[in-house]
Amino acid sequence: MDINKVKGQWQNLSTVIEDIDYSVSGHDYNVCLDHEKVRDFAALMLEEGFYLVALMAVHVSPAIEVVYQFAHFETRCRVLARAFVDDNGEIPTISDIYQGANWHERETRDFHGIVFVDHPYLHPLILAEEDVDLKPLLKEEANLKDVAAVRRQPPEPAPEPKAKPEPKPEAKPEAVKSQEQS
Amino acid sequence: MAANTETMTINMGPQHPSTHGVLQLILELDGEIVVKATPHIGFLHRGIEKLSEHRTYHQTIPLTDRLDYLAPMSNNLGYVLAVEKLLGITDEIPERVQRIRVIMTELTRLKSHLVWLACHALDIGAMTVFLYCFRERECITDIYEKVSGARMTSNYFRVGGLADDLPDGLEGEIRTFVESMPAHVEEYEGLLTGNRIWQKRTIGVGEISAEAAIDIGITGPSLRASGVDWDLRRDNPYCGYEDYDFDVPVRTGCDTFDRYRVRLDEMRQSVRIILQALDKLKPGPILADCPKIVLPPKQDVVNNIESLIHHFKIVTEGFKTEPGEIYQGIEAPKGELGFYLIADGSAYPFRMKIRPPSFVNLQGLPQMVEGKLLADVIAVIGTLDIVLGEIDR
Repeated sequence: MDINKVKGQWQNLSTVIEDIDYSVSGHDYNVCLDHEKVRDFAALMLEEGFYLVALMAVHVSPAIEVVYQFAHFETRCRVLARAFVDDNGEIPTISDIYQGANWHERETRDFHGIVFVDHPYLHPLILAEEDVDLKPLLKEEANLKDVAAVRRQPPEPAPEPKAKPEPKPEAKPEAVKSQEQS
Repeated sequence: MAANTETMTINMGPQHPSTHGVLQLILELDGEIVVKATPHIGFLHRGIEKLSEHRTYHQTIPLTDRLDYLAPMSNNLGYVLAVEKLLGITDEIPERVQRIRVIMTELTRLKSHLVWLACHALDIGAMTVFLYCFRERECITDIYEKVSGARMTSNYFRVGGLADDLPDGLEGEIRTFVESMPAHVEEYEGLLTGNRIWQKRTIGVGEISAEAAIDIGITGPSLRASGVDWDLRRDNPYCGYEDYDFDVPVRTGCDTFDRYRVRLDEMRQSVRIILQALDKLKPGPILADCPKIVLPPKQDVVNNIESLIHHFKIVTEGFKTEPGEIYQGIEAPKGELGFYLIADGSAYPFRMKIRPPSFVNLQGLPQMVEGKLLADVIAVIGTLDIVLGEIDR
């Protein structure tokens, strides 16, 4: 797999692609998606040989964010992809692309109430049937944070506050990784 | 006259002895053939992810013991590494701490694999192996008790170090035990590998191809027995694993028998790692020099006022972290155990997601048993090595 070629294909699907430092964050790339593009992105990742590490959600303002984590066996590349749910709290399922997403999506539905559209069996998995409306991991109004407040802040005094942090200047994910893995 | 057949649906679990905990399987049977298997989980859900949002970082460590309760130190390790990464103090962990962590987590791998082998063999009908494995496991539980005071829920690692140093003489005890271990593994192999009944019950049972395993996201020994060479200790090293010389056993049979052989080989590799770590173990501090984060040693707390103040502040208020998100995966005995932490700058995590290996691996079960015999379901549950504590969390 050529990561630069794959990154080129991400361009069409994503709004933000940034290189992040593996030794600091545990991932090599951070990709922000529109919720309509999630399926295309997942299909691309499967084709390139990535496996789905995990799928989860975070309740932030302005909307619940669904986070997908992928890793690649040969290049050891780790990718974090994220997408906000739409206004109805829905996002397309990827369980027909990655079989393993099935339970992750059911669990996320239990904890956050997100509806994964076209999921084959979106029934409670971890919680009991009667607790379907409990949504235990949703934050209360007072504890809800803006999405920028839970991201790593830019290093050193930033010239102006930005919504998305820039990668650190010394970040060289490829170089750091190859050194670690030798 | 044509026979009038219909399928029968039965419940297996959650109180069945060979479902290894509170796993419920709804099996649709056509005679002895499984037509459809549907796992039901969640009976042991304790809301650990939610609880952690209301606890300081130190207070969550005992909760992680209760994930995979057969390998508590692996869970401790994954969690403390994640918090250390979030704090950016990974490079400040003293060498002695790294070595002891490796020794204890590899002993944990042995402990977990011993329980797996014991129960797996018992389910299939080999009683003797169970007794032999628990004999060795007892030695590891004793070591656990000496270092942490608890035989199962160890709660031994701390953010930035360890709860306490190894007691006097324990290094020698660990070495004696570990050196005896290869002979014991030979003994288990002698009982099982060439055994015709064992082979009949495991070869070709519960097959899963590498493609299907990747599609589901299976990790750990189950993946390596399907021919995929992937071990986080080597591929995404943590805790100084790059310093050790060990092999990653890989086999291509994709079946229960090869998963059994991969795990036995892993036990031999763990022994190698522990012996190397014991050779490299030198005296030194067991806590990082980060007084705002690390709990001071108990001796100092009772003897000087600064340590008492630090202790009081850290216990009552916790420590604050920078906002940010990190992921830390480790190679737990069952596969990739991941902790994904999101911090908002307070003393509590904003969100903690646990990626339990058993949860993902169990999703492969229907594919492995459908179209096969009912008796194979028992073998497949055993070979997946699931622990409901971490599946339900």
